[in-house]
Amino acid sequence: MEEKEYALDVPVQPPQEYKSLFLPIPPEFVEEAYRKDEFVILVGPQHPGSGHMRLIVRVKGDIMTEVIPDPGYVHRAIEKLAETKLFIQNIPLVERPAIMDCANMCLGYVRAIEKAMDLEVPPRAKYIRTILAELCRIGTHLYDAGILAVFIGHTTGFMWPFGLREYICEALCRITGARVTASFIIPGGVRRDVDEKTLRFVEAVTYTLEEKLRKFEKIFVKNPAVIMRLKDVGVLDKKEAIKFGIVGPFLRASGVEYDVRKVEPYEAYDEIDFDIPVSDEGDSYSRFLVRVNEVQQSLNIIRRAIKNIPEGPVVSEGLIGKLKDKEKVGKDVRGYFFRLFGRMTVPAGEYTTLTEAARGTLLYTLVSDGKSTVPYRLRVVTPGWAYLKGFMEACKGERLADLQGIYGSFGYFPPEADR
Amino acid sequence: MSSEDIRFLHSGPLAPIKKWGTKWSLWPVHLVTACCGVELAHAYACGYDAERIGSLNYGICRHTNVIIVEGAITRKMAKVLRITWEQMPNPKFVIVMGACGLKGGLFWNSYHMVKPSEVVPVDFFVPGCPPTPEALIRAIVQLQDKIMSGEAKTSAEFKEVDLGKLLGVAKEVKPKKPPKSPKKVDPKPEIVIDKAKEVEWELGQKLVEDFQKKLAGIAESITITDVNRICVKVGRDNVLSAISKLADKFDHVKSVNVIDVPHENKFIVEFWLGCYSNKELMPVLVNVATEVPRDDPKVPSVAGIFPSADYMEREMHELFGVWFEGNPWMGRNFLLDPDTPKYPLRKDFKLEEDKFVVEG
Repeated sequence: MEEKEYALDVPVQPPQEYKSLFLPIPPEFVEEAYRKDEFVILVGPQHPGSGHMRLIVRVKGDIMTEVIPDPGYVHRAIEKLAETKLFIQNIPLVERPAIMDCANMCLGYVRAIEKAMDLEVPPRAKYIRTILAELCRIGTHLYDAGILAVFIGHTTGFMWPFGLREYICEALCRITGARVTASFIIPGGVRRDVDEKTLRFVEAVTYTLEEKLRKFEKIFVKNPAVIMRLKDVGVLDKKEAIKFGIVGPFLRASGVEYDVRKVEPYEAYDEIDFDIPVSDEGDSYSRFLVRVNEVQQSLNIIRRAIKNIPEGPVVSEGLIGKLKDKEKVGKDVRGYFFRLFGRMTVPAGEYTTLTEAARGTLLYTLVSDGKSTVPYRLRVVTPGWAYLKGFMEACKGERLADLQGIYGSFGYFPPEADR
Repeated sequence: MSSEDIRFLHSGPLAPIKKWGTKWSLWPVHLVTACCGVELAHAYACGYDAERIGSLNYGICRHTNVIIVEGAITRKMAKVLRITWEQMPNPKFVIVMGACGLKGGLFWNSYHMVKPSEVVPVDFFVPGCPPTPEALIRAIVQLQDKIMSGEAKTSAEFKEVDLGKLLGVAKEVKPKKPPKSPKKVDPKPEIVIDKAKEVEWELGQKLVEDFQKKLAGIAESITITDVNRICVKVGRDNVLSAISKLADKFDHVKSVNVIDVPHENKFIVEFWLGCYSNKELMPVLVNVATEVPRDDPKVPSVAGIFPSADYMEREMHELFGVWFEGNPWMGRNFLLDPDTPKYPLRKDFKLEEDKFVVEG
């Protein structure tokens, strides 16, 4: 029988919502998709998961052929505001992108200043910083595990990590005085010393967490339903992961052994022995597993840091050397803040630091002119922003129903990515 | 329903039952607008368990009756907030969490911020940065009281204290002058991005020699700025050829950065290259920098060589107006809302300055 083609009059005009919902994509994209019998679906910004961004998904059947991100819903202009605040005032600002990861966010910025001013950090302060950074790393991984559970509809899996996060919040509270926004790390050290009782408490927390995490593993990590949702979904192989510049645990899940704590050690990481979990699969489940194993490593790091913590001041000699009561200020900088940091200037030049934040490599570029008391330019590349491209590529070729699983497995946190 | 039916529901004999029903089923919609979402999640998790007072987060806005605005609302989000609010059935309530939602908080003078009270009618504010879960639960209880009694009350009222009496300070205080701002900004700063530093770094010396051979005639200068940091300055036309020559060793872009220097009429555009595939080169960052005039800011795009630079180029285009030739997204919005002023990160775009005031 002879085949014939019949033209059907299908409307290919982009719908009216195209304008009212301020889509950032060109109209030709929608028209072309309609002509090829594909659909353009908007996921978000208000979606049943957590964190809002819009994904413009083009589907053929239920296979995603293209995913375009529409970020910026939490763009609060950190880079511009940093140019209007004093160097020291920027510390609370730079930790706002990811407040559950406050110590790591802060650490990168503070290290850029220290690098510029050639400040030597006392060993005790280095250990306290390491403990804080690892506490925040565990907290963030737990947070992401909870959000992943929300995404794949596992309510118990949400309750457990957030219950465990309470321990982290309590530990942070006892060390710094704040549940999430600590702002505890300052150029040249930390704000005040941590007493023995608090350190013992933090150590006890690590053991409790370890025990509870074993139960969580039974409930969520090794749950067959979770494995079915995440296994072999959103695969990024090693070559792709490198090409798209993925960072952190997601890069390690694809088989690249890159961890800033190992390649360019900072703080006490070169004195403490730890492993970096690596997986070769590169799918959503291994991205999650790598972080589960990282929590275990972080617990070990905290224990070792508490065991080996040296005595001494916690504020740099280079800052307080000229003060009369430097013994007291070296343990607690309260009351001397304005005198030490109020009119601080940073030598001219450009300083770039890499930090391993919980979700990956965090890059700060600080440009100073040498005379102003504010930064000339502060470039912040948060891990979320760096792996966004890879996240979009991982979605391609997967089913639409797996989008949540992939989103959750990346732990994408829009406030962090948009800054 | 006719208007009479509605009036009957609101004030008829069944009204208390309706109020009671609303009181114990306050369902907030999933609308995590910013970082306060961390504490909101804690409030609904097992630690604080706000579900025991009949409040449960739910995914779809058409099934919910409360919005908890979690902190900062950006221009882009404001539209979404309004759309979400309009889709919810009546009676609906709004609780605003965090200092950013009140007066802007840390981001009060940002170019991309909106106050939620200008977008939707707000019932309760919860101050704090971020507020604790207890504070949020208190707001929900307060909202329940409002539903029953019909009027909103402040939950925390503080007695006024006469500080002079308390501390024994004499009443007559000299009029104070506001303190001088410690902020000092150099009007014509000198921006150096390749300040050489003497460091002991063998690999660096080797790399620099290698680069000098490879980039002969292309690179204007190659400097070691610190351990693991090399700065390569090239002309605008040589950016692509320099980066493609470095692409055999370095496999991704870590950051694309633009520095605006208005008094010298130039933009400094930087591409930070990193390496994942070679273990020895992993810590090394190479900064390929070029200078372009401000009135003709065109740079070739490297997204063709390194796809990881794509989104960062879009971002820099939006914030500075630098045109990356070859990137198909140029001239379009990516991160910012279409209503935002153009090129906000340029130095001539000024934000409102903070003032120092002495009260009383």
